[in-house]
Amino acid sequence: MEAIETTYLEADAASVTFSSIPATYEHLQLRCSIRVAGVGARNSTNLTFNGDTGSNYTLHRMHGYGTNISGAGWANQPAVYAPDATGFDSTSADYSGVVVDILDYANTNKNTSCLFSGYIAGIPDLMAVESALWDATAAVSSITLTGTLPITRGSQYTLYGIKSS
Amino acid sequence: MACWNVIEHQELSSGASSVSFTGISASYDHLVLLSSARSDEATITGYMNFQVNGDTGTNYSRRSLNATTSTVGTSSGVNQSVFIYQYVPALNSLADTFGVMETWFIDYSNTSNYTQILSQSVGPNNSSTDSQWGLRLSSGIWTSTAAINRVDVLCDSGSDDFVQYSTFTLYGINGAA
Repeated sequence: MEAIETTYLEADAASVTFSSIPATYEHLQLRCSIRVAGVGARNSTNLTFNGDTGSNYTLHRMHGYGTNISGAGWANQPAVYAPDATGFDSTSADYSGVVVDILDYANTNKNTSCLFSGYIAGIPDLMAVESALWDATAAVSSITLTGTLPITRGSQYTLYGIKSS
Repeated sequence: MACWNVIEHQELSSGASSVSFTGISASYDHLVLLSSARSDEATITGYMNFQVNGDTGTNYSRRSLNATTSTVGTSSGVNQSVFIYQYVPALNSLADTFGVMETWFIDYSNTSNYTQILSQSVGPNNSSTDSQWGLRLSSGIWTSTAAINRVDVLCDSGSDDFVQYSTFTLYGINGAA
């Protein structure tokens, strides 16, 4: 596993983009520590690949928050509504921690599938496992994460490449 | 010293009912298997199972948390002949869609303990209709203290095939020297 790029926000930002991702790895892993500005204990951020904002994304979620546990799905959407981020109403030091596994991202025989695993600190806090599907066989060359609200200073994203030889 | 080390990568050039990793060195602390696979079973979501060291006895037990609808369920399997029914997209799911599966074999060469196995899998599909997608977390044990030297990945019970382009990569994870 090799670090491709780390982005640490020194100031609030509307989005974060990893571009020109090399196709030389087998898998990608994105590790996020994120918080967004705005009312609410948590808010989603939106993930897109290669700048595609067509209705080509599907998200499924299994999560527990407070005493509740449930599943849900959103098909054929313009973005993946994940990962969730800790919101303004939570303690200022709270950030969500999410790991995103993106397998065979450069294999043009496959749509891109992802596994999200995360803990979103807040009141109530939330634990989620999610799958995301991008209905496109293009190699992933860029990843954009856009906040529904500004992503706050101190948030950090690191993209890793995982080799297979 | 690298932390993640590639032991072996396999990409299927044609359908296969199982994939095997043999001669696994005992020199790592843990094993991780990453898989991007699809089944040819005539359903929406199929299953992927494991056996280790060729053990076909009833020596695998697991507990799972899974969602295929808005209701999250739990299930278990005690003294089973395979480990973990993990989800994998199948023939009737969206074309060209493969699942994501990550499985850890913890302390796989420690002969004082049973081997603990932790696994996550997703069966994505472009549908939000109940039972047309799946998420599963599973954990469990192989009730043997033998070091793992072989992992077999089975498409369901071996009666179906993983399709072409399915990939399976086994990594050895190092601890501190």
